Amino acid sequence: MTTTHPRAPGGRRGLHDNHPLVPYLFLLPHAVFFLVFLVYPIVFGLYISVHRWDPLSDTQPFVGAEFYLNLFRDTPQRDFFWRTLINTLLFTAISVPLLVATALGLAQLLFRPIALRTVFRSIFFMPGILSVSVMGILWRWMFENQSGLVNNVLGALGHPTIPFLTTDGWAWVPITVGTVWWTIGFNMTLYLAAMGNIPTSVYEAAELDGASGAQKFRFITVPLLQPTTLFVVVTTVLASLQLFGQPQVITAGGPARGTQSVIMYITEEAFSNNQFSSATAMSFVFGLLMLVFTAIQFRTMARDIRGGDRT
Amino acid sequence: MKRTVSLTLLLATGTSLAAYSGPKVQLTYLHGFTGPDRPIMEKLITQFNASHPNIQVKGQAQPWGTTWQQLGPLVASGRAADIVAINEDQVTGFIARGALTPLTPTELSAAGIDKARFYGPLWATADYKGMSYGVPVHSVALAMYYNKDLLAKAGVTKVPTNRSEYLAAAQKCTVDKAGKHPGDAGFDAKNLNTWAAGVVNGWMGGTIAYSVSRQNGADLVDKEQNAAFTSPGAQEALQFLVDQVQKYHVSPANATEQSEIAAFRQGKACFNFNGVWMLEQYKGQTGLNFGVTPVPQLGTKMNAAWGGSSHLTLPRQRANYDKNKRAAALEFIAWMTQPAQNLTWTAAGGLPTQPVVAKDKSYDNNPVSGLFEGLPNVYATSGYPWVGQVRGAWDGAVEAAVLGKKSVTQALSDAQKEAAKQIEQARKTIK
Repeated sequence: MTTTHPRAPGGRRGLHDNHPLVPYLFLLPHAVFFLVFLVYPIVFGLYISVHRWDPLSDTQPFVGAEFYLNLFRDTPQRDFFWRTLINTLLFTAISVPLLVATALGLAQLLFRPIALRTVFRSIFFMPGILSVSVMGILWRWMFENQSGLVNNVLGALGHPTIPFLTTDGWAWVPITVGTVWWTIGFNMTLYLAAMGNIPTSVYEAAELDGASGAQKFRFITVPLLQPTTLFVVVTTVLASLQLFGQPQVITAGGPARGTQSVIMYITEEAFSNNQFSSATAMSFVFGLLMLVFTAIQFRTMARDIRGGDRT
Repeated sequence: MKRTVSLTLLLATGTSLAAYSGPKVQLTYLHGFTGPDRPIMEKLITQFNASHPNIQVKGQAQPWGTTWQQLGPLVASGRAADIVAINEDQVTGFIARGALTPLTPTELSAAGIDKARFYGPLWATADYKGMSYGVPVHSVALAMYYNKDLLAKAGVTKVPTNRSEYLAAAQKCTVDKAGKHPGDAGFDAKNLNTWAAGVVNGWMGGTIAYSVSRQNGADLVDKEQNAAFTSPGAQEALQFLVDQVQKYHVSPANATEQSEIAAFRQGKACFNFNGVWMLEQYKGQTGLNFGVTPVPQLGTKMNAAWGGSSHLTLPRQRANYDKNKRAAALEFIAWMTQPAQNLTWTAAGGLPTQPVVAKDKSYDNNPVSGLFEGLPNVYATSGYPWVGQVRGAWDGAVEAAVLGKKSVTQALSDAQKEAAKQIEQARKTIK
């Protein structure tokens, strides 16, 4: 057969493989969704954030950067946006190391062929299937000021009770502990899968050289899991920055906005105060910060994975 | 649950309903009754459809929050439902932003809707600048639950109805681990065995403080719709609540709404201030012998309590909207808010929207009837378009004062400044 190109059935000329349009046709389905659900909302969002926009208003006057500047002037937005942003960063700083290190530790323990291994894996993974409201009510009930389980135990031990839900600082405990309990299983499962991909011959070679268990973990397991760690850290940071449901249910953002996350505040501004443009402007500022964080993580950690420039 | 409608109600429904006689129309009715009350609402819609062959109403239940987010864009694009149920804290905002249409006196009387039939403040909840925008279909209120056994044990013979009676009962109810009352030598406020009622924060705390404030004749806003937290009435109300913890020691420090519900169920608290919706939960608590009564007059001027409600409204529609649909929608609203339907509806846990329903015999042995005498004095947070902003700041002030972070004066003046800035911003979009 030396025909140049196969013909489409029915005798009509079909698009052959090297027609310049072919790759674009393959890209088209994704491009449509990308444009409709990502590009258009971003452009429309930018429009909203520089106008005084309300769907019910007849006029949508252009106000330029007013809602962005409000974050730096003497306004409630300045007071609350930065405060809730710091809250969110604090939560991220505390929860991410816990969620990564604990997940790695659990995975290391449950990778070995111990008895009831599958049962334990299931136990740690199970909370993740609960909805945030169930998880929130559960942990609020555990840490409730007078009637909570934790305070009942403290009281029984003769210890003064701690009003967790209404005290600055303490209010983060149920939120953070609850979040670790709730989401640890996912990261653990990722690590378990990655550990299964490390060739046993590497460990065998190390054993011949007399490496201890701790050394094997430190010099083989951890470095070879770097790509997984990058993925786990980036996804966990992004999830933590988007904290919303846990404080909403457990503390309602209290005491005095002490556990309000930035997403909670943006939601309040949009749907409780009907300040859509202001909320959109804050979303863009926050989204930009998340992009910066992610870029930094990729740069620092990807360099580690490539091994950096060894000289 | 089947109820026989008594004679009073049948007589009350004697108001002539102008039956819609136009061509057959289909209406959509959006509401947020998604809980155990949903089947009752759906049953009523089915009844209406069966008795009105030329009107077919299709009910859509979705969470309230979703409706608040979607109603604006839907109205703007002319695709809102024909009838929407809206709550007391949202209704003025939607009116002021132009999402709803006024129900003219002509329309109301043509449909047989008589506002004099309803509790005055309840009807007024959906009024704005002299026009009515909605008809009350559902009503709830803040109530006081009391533990009969605990009161008897403490030697309280009469359920308190005013401040001095309440404080006297509270003092008797509060006992520390050593059996001492507040004021006794060596009384330990940190270790209470039983107490009166914990002063809570959060939304419920703000709601209770608002109620006492109204009893002092003070609303959260002034005539210009600006925040008025620093009025003497509001200050006095909040100070009274703070004093429960810091001065009279009849409330534990750091109480939360949930911890107080638990304490009341466990028989540790004599009183519990919460919505009428807690009734079913408390009924289901074995061994809890309780009653329910309107909030006593803890303020100095009048009886009042927070009230919540849902109102049937007609959103703004496209320019060429079918007039028949509007007439049919008004007929539906008229029917749904009739005493007979309201009586059926209250089985879901709501309160009567009109005195004639409250008088019905079927309530004679129902504990909820203990609340009815308070219904004429139930006041919603409505009438100004920035309820969210005002309540956010107010609840924050109540929390700061109750937790002892700020003095009452400081907490209220800080919150007043915050609300004033928020309102100033809101005024730029809401004309």
